[in-house]
Amino acid sequence: MRDQLEKYAAKLAADRSALPEAIAFAARDDLLITAGAPDLARLAGGTLSRLNSLALVAASPSLPFAELLVARAPAGDCCIVPQDTETRTFLHDIPFLRKDELSADPSAAIARLLANRKGVIVEGVGIVAVGAITVEQAYINYSSVFHSTFVKYLQDLLADGFLLPGEREAFEEFRSRWLKPISVEGLAFRAMLSEDKDEILAEIESVGRYTVERGLVDSFFGNISARSGDLLYISQTAASLDELKGCIDPVPGDNSSTTGITASSELLAHRKIFEQTGAKAILHGHPKFSVVMSMLCESGDCTIKDCWKDCPRVRHLGGTPVVAGEIGAGGLAKRVPPVIGATGSAIVYGHGVFTLGRQGFGEAFAAMVDVENFCRDEYFRRLDGMEQR
Amino acid sequence: MLHVDLARGRCLRGEIPEELLRAYLGGRGLGVRLMRDYFTLDPFDPDLPLIFAVGPLCGTASPTSARLAAVSRSPLTETIYDCSAGGRFAWRLKASGVDALLVTGRSPEPVLLALDGERAELLPARALWGKGIRETVASLEGRGSVAAIGPAGENGVLFANIMMGEGNSIGRGGLGAVMGAKLLKAIVVNGSGETRVADRERFEAARGDVMRLFRASPVIFGELGIAEYGTPALVDLMAQRRMAPTENFSATFFAASGNYSGPSIRRECGARKDGCYGCPIQCKKSSREGEPLPEYETVNHFGALNGISDLKAIVKANTLCNELGMDTISAAATLSAFGEARGRFPLAEELPALLADTAYRRAEGELLSLGSRRVAERLGRPELSMSVKSLELPAYDPRGAYGMALAYATSNRGGCHLRAYPISHEILRKPVPTDRFSFSGKARIIKIAEDVNAAVDSLVACKFAFFGATLEEYGELLSAATGVDYGPESLKAIGERIYLTERFYNCANCFGVADDTLPERFFREAGTAGEGIEVPPIERARFREELQKYYRIRGLTPEGTFADPSFLDGMP
Ligand code: SF4
Ligand SMILES: [Zn+2]
Repeated sequence: MRDQLEKYAAKLAADRSALPEAIAFAARDDLLITAGAPDLARLAGGTLSRLNSLALVAASPSLPFAELLVARAPAGDCCIVPQDTETRTFLHDIPFLRKDELSADPSAAIARLLANRKGVIVEGVGIVAVGAITVEQAYINYSSVFHSTFVKYLQDLLADGFLLPGEREAFEEFRSRWLKPISVEGLAFRAMLSEDKDEILAEIESVGRYTVERGLVDSFFGNISARSGDLLYISQTAASLDELKGCIDPVPGDNSSTTGITASSELLAHRKIFEQTGAKAILHGHPKFSVVMSMLCESGDCTIKDCWKDCPRVRHLGGTPVVAGEIGAGGLAKRVPPVIGATGSAIVYGHGVFTLGRQGFGEAFAAMVDVENFCRDEYFRRLDGMEQR
Repeated sequence: MLHVDLARGRCLRGEIPEELLRAYLGGRGLGVRLMRDYFTLDPFDPDLPLIFAVGPLCGTASPTSARLAAVSRSPLTETIYDCSAGGRFAWRLKASGVDALLVTGRSPEPVLLALDGERAELLPARALWGKGIRETVASLEGRGSVAAIGPAGENGVLFANIMMGEGNSIGRGGLGAVMGAKLLKAIVVNGSGETRVADRERFEAARGDVMRLFRASPVIFGELGIAEYGTPALVDLMAQRRMAPTENFSATFFAASGNYSGPSIRRECGARKDGCYGCPIQCKKSSREGEPLPEYETVNHFGALNGISDLKAIVKANTLCNELGMDTISAAATLSAFGEARGRFPLAEELPALLADTAYRRAEGELLSLGSRRVAERLGRPELSMSVKSLELPAYDPRGAYGMALAYATSNRGGCHLRAYPISHEILRKPVPTDRFSFSGKARIIKIAEDVNAAVDSLVACKFAFFGATLEEYGELLSAATGVDYGPESLKAIGERIYLTERFYNCANCFGVADDTLPERFFREAGTAGEGIEVPPIERARFREELQKYYRIRGLTPEGTFADPSFLDGMP
């Protein structure tokens, strides 16, 4: 199990969601083991030993957004409720503990919150997330909290501006240092994906890795597929896109076999997109600025409350259609396929981006990068505009 | 609570202390707690209670929660035994104001127990005795929802079921025989009360969260998931993973399994959606004619396990078992062990007669009615019973999933896949995947999952709901329904209490480390390799090591027993 702790600590450092020197994991087999930064490791161990779960991560995020959300939250609040899909579907809300609620050993207080939720924010400490049955799960939950707080902070900022002393400076630091340009530079794609199984699998594996490396998706979210005649190759559910070897299901078009029961929850969406567009490859990620911008709706005359699932409109972001719809059998599979063909990409409200390639993954990947870059630019254009006013 | 004493012909209503409901929820937990004064009684002792307990979510709109647990001691395994079953029966029982129905004693004559609102009465049932399930249910039409035994239960077949009118069954451990020994032919319930929900708005929000997770789960509502194809959706998957038990577990791949795969059943039988009352998933399937179609375990066991590829024969065997009131897994696995012992597996056309003989305990059926462990022993080939604690193993070969291997061994009711249900993560990748060929971490995972599922069985909710939802959402439903706050950790703590109580009962009945193991075959023979997958025998030393880890995690001795003989005194 030690190797697992090391593996996921390295992942948190590599995806830059946590400060490399401030990551600790704890896991329990018959014994409790901890690894990482000593103080955090003690906290992780102390907290996990109070829970009927297998693993826990405590780490300081590389960005101050979670902390800032806590500081901005009205006195009396005890959780934040991001509006993105990952929160809505899996986290529900993210409880927090303020500094002044923490005793010398806060593990009991943290465990109390983790008794009901997958991840919490602890002011002055960072994000603590639990994995019910695997170490990976703790990593996934950390990653989801990081993603959701990132999205919510950016949204809140656009709505309310900077509120706290030092906030602007912290954000500038993020903008000028943390954020890196996203591009396709240095990535190799097969221009024309053949029908050959091995070639397709290899290409899906490397494109999956690129998607993670370029920050277009977090933890085990996102999915990817390619069509070969009557077969569809798609990443499995709960598969990390950077580790797809052995995790790609071939699904026959006529449903003559059900081995694809383990395929991604977006299988239906992928199928319909292939049917309606004739594409060869599909990529789906959760790039953060696209998620943020997709939830920025300016139609003031609307009475719909649950936009993420009920919005019937097709809005646009730089020409890319934005539609609503929940994961899986919940509606996204209905709304994305009809709109994605025109531009080769579509954004799902609060969720992520689908892109397609007519001949291979190069086009799909470039499209996703373009959508995210557009959304990023547009976000800062608006933020700066707001600042000037 | 309603206590029915069949010997004296008395029905007594009483209150269950609030404290017990909080500590054990309902369903399995409550039933297990109510067994505290009886757990050493022989399964056929008239004083042994047969308990039907619903949970706090029954009667609400909580998805998959119109369920109950039946609890007693199993004549097949001699362990404490519970089984979860869905359907209107549970719902109407709750609506009669009964959280737990406890039946004791032996009636002098076959009887029928009828509950109608506040009224409970025992009616003569001599005319029903000997009748199959269909006829029994039909003759009780209009009286409410039915739970009945068939000839197998009447005749004491050790794996006789209690069947519900709508086709659900209380299966596996032979509680039908316990009911039969009491001469209780059937129970009809017809309550119409409503279950109060403390906080409607909170309840609806939690319900929405559960439904969203169902839709996000490929296993549940995916195009190839169980809502579409039922559990036979697993046939193709298990074949591909090389872990479909074949010919009494001597192989793990059956070339003709495609004949009874999910898509084949749909094509050949015109499978329609069906399922437990109040469940949005509807994983059960029935034919064009309305005949319930077999589940994954059943198609594999009448199929691959007996080397039979004829879908029609398999469907027929399933129907016959239902009609006779007999567990399909144990029936098929017993035939398979019997087949290997005598050197040939039964032919498809021999199944109906063999099954009928078993239910009526005539000819070879007299022996078969005892289940595979006793059959194999009597034939001098004890190693051929593919069972744990005498419960026949279902259709997941343990050589293909090491968590499953451990979980079969630690299950409190014997070789069952549902106690810890590691197939969920080892095969179906829910909530996250684990390495099926590794024991690493599995002791802890199995322990946690056993706790979780003990809580789930006490809510009562269906295990399949947890291919999507988690205790987080169900805890929220429960909090909203009852007005008492529950979360995953508090529910797991309840689950742990239930699990340890069961284990304590079993230890008191002399179960221990020697019983927590797998049939020899799995440590000696390899499964069928293919598609780049090797299925080696399980490494015995590693298995034992993990079992010892499990004991340490559970706080048990190396013998798998309790260091503290007064453990129960500390329990509520
Ligand atoms: S999922 Fe299937 S078994 Fe479970 S409650 Fe629904 S219909 Fe019944
Ligand atoms: Zn997504």
